[in-house]
Amino acid sequence: MNDRSEEIRRVAKRLLAEGKADVVIGFRDSRLPLRATPHFARTPAEADQLVWGLGCTSNLAKYLLDREECVAVVAKGCDVRAIVATVKENQVNRDRVTIIGVPCAGVVSWQKLEAVLNGRDLTEAIQDGDTLVLRGREFEQRVAISDLLQDACRTCTVHEPVVCDVRIASSAPAGGRTDEFADIREFEALSPDERWEWFRREFSRCIRCYACRNACPACYCEQCFVDSTNPEWIGKGNDLTDTLIFHIVRAFHSAGRCVDCGACERACPMGIDLRRLTRKVQKDVKELFGADAGVDPDSPPALAVFRPDDPEDFTW
Amino acid sequence: MRKYARIERDALPSHLDAWIERYGVFAPMMRDGVRRFGVLSAGSDAQPGPWLTKVPVKEMFLPQTECLYRYRRGTNGGLEIETPQDPARLRLIFGVRPCDARALTLLDHVFRSTDRPDPYYCARRESTILVGIGCSEPRSVCFCTSVGGSPFGEEGLDVLLVETGGDYVAKALTLKGEALIAEMPEAAPEDTETLIAEARRHAEASMGDAVLTAGLKERLDSGFDAPLWDRIHEPCIGCGVCAFLCPTCHCFDLAHEADTRSVAGDAGRCVRGWDTCMFSLFTRQASGVNPRPSGKERMRQRLMHKFRYFVENYGEAACVGCGRCIANCPTACDIRETIARIDDAAEADSHAQET
Amino acid sequence: MTDTATGTWQPRIIAFLCNWCSYAGADLAGVSRLQYPPNIRVIRVPCSGRVNPLLILKALREGADGVLVAGCHPGDCHYVSGNYAARRKFAVLKRLLEYVGLESGRVTFAWVSASEGGRFAELVTDVTEKVRQLGPASRLVASHE
Repeated sequence: MNDRSEEIRRVAKRLLAEGKADVVIGFRDSRLPLRATPHFARTPAEADQLVWGLGCTSNLAKYLLDREECVAVVAKGCDVRAIVATVKENQVNRDRVTIIGVPCAGVVSWQKLEAVLNGRDLTEAIQDGDTLVLRGREFEQRVAISDLLQDACRTCTVHEPVVCDVRIASSAPAGGRTDEFADIREFEALSPDERWEWFRREFSRCIRCYACRNACPACYCEQCFVDSTNPEWIGKGNDLTDTLIFHIVRAFHSAGRCVDCGACERACPMGIDLRRLTRKVQKDVKELFGADAGVDPDSPPALAVFRPDDPEDFTW
Repeated sequence: MRKYARIERDALPSHLDAWIERYGVFAPMMRDGVRRFGVLSAGSDAQPGPWLTKVPVKEMFLPQTECLYRYRRGTNGGLEIETPQDPARLRLIFGVRPCDARALTLLDHVFRSTDRPDPYYCARRESTILVGIGCSEPRSVCFCTSVGGSPFGEEGLDVLLVETGGDYVAKALTLKGEALIAEMPEAAPEDTETLIAEARRHAEASMGDAVLTAGLKERLDSGFDAPLWDRIHEPCIGCGVCAFLCPTCHCFDLAHEADTRSVAGDAGRCVRGWDTCMFSLFTRQASGVNPRPSGKERMRQRLMHKFRYFVENYGEAACVGCGRCIANCPTACDIRETIARIDDAAEADSHAQET
Repeated sequence: MTDTATGTWQPRIIAFLCNWCSYAGADLAGVSRLQYPPNIRVIRVPCSGRVNPLLILKALREGADGVLVAGCHPGDCHYVSGNYAARRKFAVLKRLLEYVGLESGRVTFAWVSASEGGRFAELVTDVTEKVRQLGPASRLVASHE
């Protein structure tokens, strides 16, 4: 067990004992290598199960919504941005949340892991510096951790959480000032026909499970537009147009609100590259309105406000 | 007719090609990065391996979306209804795992062996031959043996292929299966049965700890109000991954969609699609009341349905231990662990009652 | 109106016009007997800010070859700020739709005031011609299979 897991347990037990939190939301190990499962610790014994590692992929900000209890939440940088964003939208009461910030260098994408394994069964994964040793029944393979990191983690600028109440001591890599939208620009440079073909193909495997929507802290509507029957905007089947409209509208609904935590992409069982859509919206919101969701607790969500001199070169 | 045959590894593609001449053949293949059943156009394209498709073979019988009928206002003012024509061609699905095949026999309880058989499902079942491959390397998430199955189970299959030193032996399990292997080199019955039994024993022994399913139904019978349910659902985000990728989950939604190209909604279709009790609106009534208002009730329902109600109705649990729900859950919920916790809770309960 | 095979296809364009400015502008074009193509089907809304992106996508889904949304010039909104909100929404939406591969020119946003009958006629003529050149809508149209 690593130092951070130990410290998280100490902090959790302290917060529970002091009555500062009724529940500490973090992660515990699952039976699958490199996958941790969200854990809700209410007693010291339960707090002793808390861990931190490469498998802590869920965005725990999701579990703050609709919760009456006083909560402490173990949050990496992207989770914290999501908390800031949902606090801004009055969905989370900041006074009843203790943010246990964990500097984070990235988490593993299980879709990439699945691709590397190509059907082989993983029984064990051991971290050895920058490498992961993957073991199965009849194989052992060393893979660079950086090859398995989720794409969102590669362009992350909040390895160090923007705000927290308790900070778990450790160092985080300095988020480089890379052009985080380089790949979007590259895709934009393709022709409309090429882009349409890519979207048609990529989203044709969507099974409309809504894991993306349900994993997203920004998706909290009591009734999602897909469930509207009067009017019925789209059908629920796998008609490509309906599926594309679902994803387009979900991306649009996240404009100015999405913090690019990547939870949607991680949740997708079919490995769909959802962020190619959501990050286009992020890029545009940044370019058009200079806004970045969840970074500044005091700035309003971009599409909730306006300026008299907003860009209008898109109009006729 | 013969029940046993032998297939050299190099001969498998040509057998598949022969089948492709007669049937629409489907096999597991990588489609845009996801392993799924797809049309096999050449025997040499088949890639038998230790893998399990992401989406179970259930999608070949109960598709994610299907049009049940179209309607239109007729010239005399009445309704004209037209059902889609079934493709006349027979299908052969190659590379089915015993868990997926067994799941079809469970779905048969609901869709086939009832006084109101589902014509869409039944037409596909009756026109499909299933050729399975035994699992010589069960994965760490597999637990078929804990729910009445086996990596070399035969239920639901027409032919079972068993790998042996690079080649295969084939065991026909139905008349359709016997007809299928009639052209193949014969294999000696006793030797083949011994071989299969040995492969089965070896595979079953390699599986992980059993899941404690004995007495599970009884524990669920008395455990509806157990405090455990308040905790078990907590990580669940209420999406449809587990149910949609489950070989036995079969709940569906029906929708009438007006064809807006027609005047005044004079035409449309009825569509059936996958639904799941895990969705928050699954049981919301027109009045607005929802008898399963939170994740707690919904997760309890799913487990009850699988391991209690289905057992009451049909005598078997609606789970084949394929492990897909475990491997694909966005929050790594583990049904094996859930079952174990139900067991722990029941034990704790009974101890409390004793003392 | 939709038969491409016999060369008689005509674009069908859904136009969301705000009651106070662009709809009135359309009215003025009519009263002034200005000629413009008859391919738009007008849906009057109180304000361009009322236009939910879902409405635009629904129109496309149901086979609209083009969608036009017109509102008051920024600063002149009858409800003060509805079109400001709309402006941000539509800036994002237009880019997103074109990114996905929807042909540029199918969805158009414009500001037309109540006194701009001529501008309205010009707008519709321009949009109709653009959509005519693009041909019948094929992307984001429901298959009805």
